[in-house]
Amino acid sequence: MNALKQLLLAAGLIAIATTAASAEPDGKALYTHRCGMCHQGIGMAVQILSRRPGDPSKGLLEQRADLSAEYIFVVVRTGTGNMPRISRAEVSDPELTAIALYLSRGKP
Amino acid sequence: MKQVLPPGMSAAQMDKALAAMARVVGDDWVLATDLDRDTYLDHFAVDESAHAAAAAVAPLTAEQVVEVVKLANTHKLPLWPISRGKNFGYGGAAPRLKGSVVLDLSRMKKIEFDAENGVALVEPGVGFYDLYDYIQQHKLPFWTSVPGNSWGSVLGNALDRGVGYTTYGQHTEKLCGMEVVLPTGELMRTGMGAMKDSPTWNLYRYGFGPSWEQMLVQSNYGVVTKAGVWLMPAPESMVGLDLELDKPEDLGWAVDLIAGLRRDGLLVQSPSLGSWLRGAATLTTRKEWYDKPDALPDDVIAAIRKRFNIGWWSVSLRLYGYEAVNEAAAGVIQAQFAKQTSQPMTVSRWKQGQPMNPSPGAAAVAGIPITFPLANAAWHGGRGGHMGYSPVLPANGKAAMEQFRRTYDRYKEFGMDYHGSFAMGERSVINVNQVLFNKDDADMMSRVNRFFRALVADATEKRYGEYRTHIDFMDLIASTYDFNNHALRRANEAIKDALDPNGVLAPGKSGIWPKRYRDQRA
Repeated sequence: MNALKQLLLAAGLIAIATTAASAEPDGKALYTHRCGMCHQGIGMAVQILSRRPGDPSKGLLEQRADLSAEYIFVVVRTGTGNMPRISRAEVSDPELTAIALYLSRGKP
Repeated sequence: MKQVLPPGMSAAQMDKALAAMARVVGDDWVLATDLDRDTYLDHFAVDESAHAAAAAVAPLTAEQVVEVVKLANTHKLPLWPISRGKNFGYGGAAPRLKGSVVLDLSRMKKIEFDAENGVALVEPGVGFYDLYDYIQQHKLPFWTSVPGNSWGSVLGNALDRGVGYTTYGQHTEKLCGMEVVLPTGELMRTGMGAMKDSPTWNLYRYGFGPSWEQMLVQSNYGVVTKAGVWLMPAPESMVGLDLELDKPEDLGWAVDLIAGLRRDGLLVQSPSLGSWLRGAATLTTRKEWYDKPDALPDDVIAAIRKRFNIGWWSVSLRLYGYEAVNEAAAGVIQAQFAKQTSQPMTVSRWKQGQPMNPSPGAAAVAGIPITFPLANAAWHGGRGGHMGYSPVLPANGKAAMEQFRRTYDRYKEFGMDYHGSFAMGERSVINVNQVLFNKDDADMMSRVNRFFRALVADATEKRYGEYRTHIDFMDLIASTYDFNNHALRRANEAIKDALDPNGVLAPGKSGIWPKRYRDQRA
């Protein structure tokens, strides 16, 4: 986890989270624009996560209370299951930080 | 992924080149950490490390692309341009030549819209969702044409001959007028755009003299920084005719019938005859059905079909345009099908003014972007993936049936679940296969490469070539285009050497290698 902590610190995630996120950038709007094609509505990820055995409620990330910003940050950059890794050109570190804090409801 | 380098380049040389590029694009947009390199790997690849990038450089403007390409020449650095890098099944964002630097154009997202003519002038970073949202926000009376994975780039998809499902579904044919950075860093416009300030750049395709646009498709002759894309005017009506075909051999007559409709021009879109796994792999996982490693047997196929109430093949025809014309055409088409099958077609109708709330399966034919078909990558559970195998056949039923039988036997031989479809063009059929695999199953993964090569060998024996392929197989497929001892490849590479003397742009793309790296051909 040391490497992970370094990664998060480098991205400013922990710093931002502990000083309370400013109003910008807008994590909810960014989430819809950058992630919504797969993680909202009838997206690919909603399909896959919803059919995990025994827990269809996992499909919509915005409705979940079990996500931490740290976890989201790592999954986005390193991929998981069928989710490809997302580059910093597509979602920059500050944008990802805002998205992660939005989904984790401010939980680092 | 630790640092990787292209052949003949030292780490110090790489660092120097990237530092120079950072002065053009800004330090934030040279992405060269170990984690950055990981984000450009092809997550569907059998061996991800075989196509690792050294770094990525992400310019924002065409002017920056010009400067980066010039620096690539100065430093003899191979670049691999991507639009958005979502070409899953064909390599994603990863370069053909290991150690290339990805020229990531995903930040270039400008849209200019000519609402009078229905033309969007888009940059490479514009995705199908971006263009769709733009049209909705501005209430423009046009429809996008989208592929089954609409996460990707409008331009990138057209530049790889991707397809959609409306009458504008042959995306490469809807490109009109490009702006291109040539491999030496010169900015060029094609067609009428070669005349400065021409108002017809994106309206007339050919200009004067040779037409370059198809030369820039699936090639490595330039970096397209923007292009005109023609869009379908929002139709007055859409009529759907859906049919479930009961037996594998129904493919033959259906291909012949639809081929006739396509030649007549009565049917302008390109429907796809897809097999039972298309829906099942999206909505369920394999272990719900079968727990053995061999290909799904007939009783399981029957159970899948029963649960989803689908045929061995399913096909959706769509008519777009004036209501009276659509209704007349639908009548003719139904009458033709009635001569072949007693199974009635399911008819659906939509008219301007009615809400557009299609079922997930009917979104793409209405030009609405989707990603859910890619959920099929999770068919096996675990980390899934698929590989595209897509030979081009003549549009005739006998050829399609022979191809189906030959390919179906190969799937069984290699213990893979059949996932094929037949996409109907005007004079040809593309047999699209999404070979679904499980990256956590070492035994299965050991079979993928041999399976693919067997499919290619079978097709080549019939003299069918692939229209598009994964970066792992570009040299293999290029080698099958063998008329006069590969005269086309020699011509392609003569042009490559003339345009790209330092061999910096996408070495190995489509099997076209510049002199500098020709020894890398597989």
